[in-house]
Amino acid sequence: MATIDFDNVQKSYGEVHAIRDFTLHVEDGDFCVFVGPSGCGKSTALKMLAGLEATSAGSISIGGRDVTELGPGKRDIAMVFQNYALYPHMSVRSNIGFGLKMRGQDKADINRKVEAAAETLELTSYLDRRPRALSGGQRQRVALGRAIVREPSAFLMDEPLSNLDAKLRVQTRSEIVNLQKRLGVTTIYVTHDQVEALTMATKIVVMRGGVIQQIGSPDTLFAEPANIFVAGFIGSPGMNFFRGPVEIENGRAQTRFGEQVVPLSVSPDRLPRDEAIFGIRPEHLRIGGEIGGTPVSLGLVESLGTEKILHFPTPEGQAIHSLQKVIGSDDAARDSTTMLARVIDDRRYSDGEHVRVALPEGKVHVFDPETQKALS
Amino acid sequence: MQKRSPLGTFGIYATVIFTCAALLFPIYWMILTALSPRTRLREYPPRFWPDDPQWGVFADLLATQPFALWMWNTILVAVATMILSLTVGVLAAYALSRHRLRGGQGLGLFILTSKMLPATLLVIPLFAIFKSLGLVGSLWSVVIAQATLIVPFATWMLKGYFDTIPPELEHAALVDGCSPLGALVRVVLPVAAPGLAATALYAFVISWSDFLYARTFLTTSESKWTLNVGIATLKGEFVTDWNTIMAASLMAAVPIIGVYLFLERYLVGGLSSGSDK
Repeated sequence: MATIDFDNVQKSYGEVHAIRDFTLHVEDGDFCVFVGPSGCGKSTALKMLAGLEATSAGSISIGGRDVTELGPGKRDIAMVFQNYALYPHMSVRSNIGFGLKMRGQDKADINRKVEAAAETLELTSYLDRRPRALSGGQRQRVALGRAIVREPSAFLMDEPLSNLDAKLRVQTRSEIVNLQKRLGVTTIYVTHDQVEALTMATKIVVMRGGVIQQIGSPDTLFAEPANIFVAGFIGSPGMNFFRGPVEIENGRAQTRFGEQVVPLSVSPDRLPRDEAIFGIRPEHLRIGGEIGGTPVSLGLVESLGTEKILHFPTPEGQAIHSLQKVIGSDDAARDSTTMLARVIDDRRYSDGEHVRVALPEGKVHVFDPETQKALS
Repeated sequence: MQKRSPLGTFGIYATVIFTCAALLFPIYWMILTALSPRTRLREYPPRFWPDDPQWGVFADLLATQPFALWMWNTILVAVATMILSLTVGVLAAYALSRHRLRGGQGLGLFILTSKMLPATLLVIPLFAIFKSLGLVGSLWSVVIAQATLIVPFATWMLKGYFDTIPPELEHAALVDGCSPLGALVRVVLPVAAPGLAATALYAFVISWSDFLYARTFLTTSESKWTLNVGIATLKGEFVTDWNTIMAASLMAAVPIIGVYLFLERYLVGGLSSGSDK
């Protein structure tokens, strides 16, 4: 068990900078998730921590020991790979015990530890099978077994759930979290799935284009995103954005959402003079009510039983057409002219229905249109 | 699955039987020639099995010719060529497959083009080199010469195989405490066993059937003759003993069949399935 520190780590391939100014401190026992769209550098950062990729500059420490120049086998880490990377020519027993064998432990010791790990992961009856005779979930557990049996300082996991089907993924997700809590081993976990990040992490590192966008707890990232990218990336569905005027009324800032005047909690002197980008989470929008709010016509109603996702057009003149550029290409599928509201109630909504949408005070996020940073 | 029609089944069997017959006919003819009395060799129409097979031809061959020595020399050359070609091929192929080398792609193509040079073109410069190194007349000359032909192809064959093995397997081995060479030996090579077997078989067969290099480099030292060189000397200026030549050829084919039967189980791929999803 150990702390992990990245100190101004850089990685470049010729002219291409894959990782820039990566500085991070992970506490002992933390479950830290690197999350971001594909190509953001999260896997590269993990491989540098594992020693599978060399750093171009900066240093990496595990448990206060500088490991920047050490090989993967000398860093006292264990890694779980996306495709499990089980040795196909070895039995489950040999797969789990291979790391111990390489460290010269005696056979009886190895056997005892392998059997203990197998029992923890309910793999005892599969110990003499080859990986190809196992299901996806069992292979995944063997990969976990290989990691825990070594009792390393840190677990590194590179999208370990992405090859599992949806149901098994949810189940294994909680198994990994419980296992990590029980063992208390510092864990770095890479995923592109923000739901995984929010549900598993004690600390999330959001990355984009090789640069850390924000580091924080799931609650912090959800409630106080540092910029438009984080706001749009974290949350499912992501935050709604719209363009709005900045007005000062009796010394208080406000904006307009269609017909509704929305008071802002940001002090006027921190706001741009004319207009800003505003964000509101789909679950914070209030639907219905006779007065207040803005009348909209529902475009599409997606019902998941009690939970519904309502699509409606962004008020005229308030859509941000360059939203794709702002949020990043990974969110290109998101239509900037449509907003989403997430409601949990028993009311039936239908396509084309007219409802009033209101933005509650204190739930509106304000972003600088130039820097895209959150204003607070 | 849809049931195959009787005509389809007949077609498949007919094709398989015809192919096997075409491939096995030369071997059958060798056996027939070896066992037929000398006076009947040119008989027309031929008999499809001799009335009194001359089984003694094999004993005569072993008694009159140093066949065992030729066989031993050939085995030495083939095994050494196989080991040399595989060692060089594995290391070259692994480097080309896994490392982003500057000019690596061009280098790979260059290796392949060297395979396109015919052996007859290489034999004279090789002879000059071996003469200056004092290797002419030594089995090593044949081993090295054959390896120059086999290594390029072996490298490409193995590179193709290594490309199919997920690099995460080596990463896992490195994290588990292996050195890079340890990861290659303990993890990559066992997984690449079918590819290695195919390459080994290729090297062994090419080396076993070599005549040109052995004839050129070993002619003067009779004690180093390989099977093909030895058998060629059985063809005399005035008399050719076809029975003995065919008997020798048959016996020369036996080790190849043995090697093939031994390596065949490794040739069946699919060992790497199960390492990932």
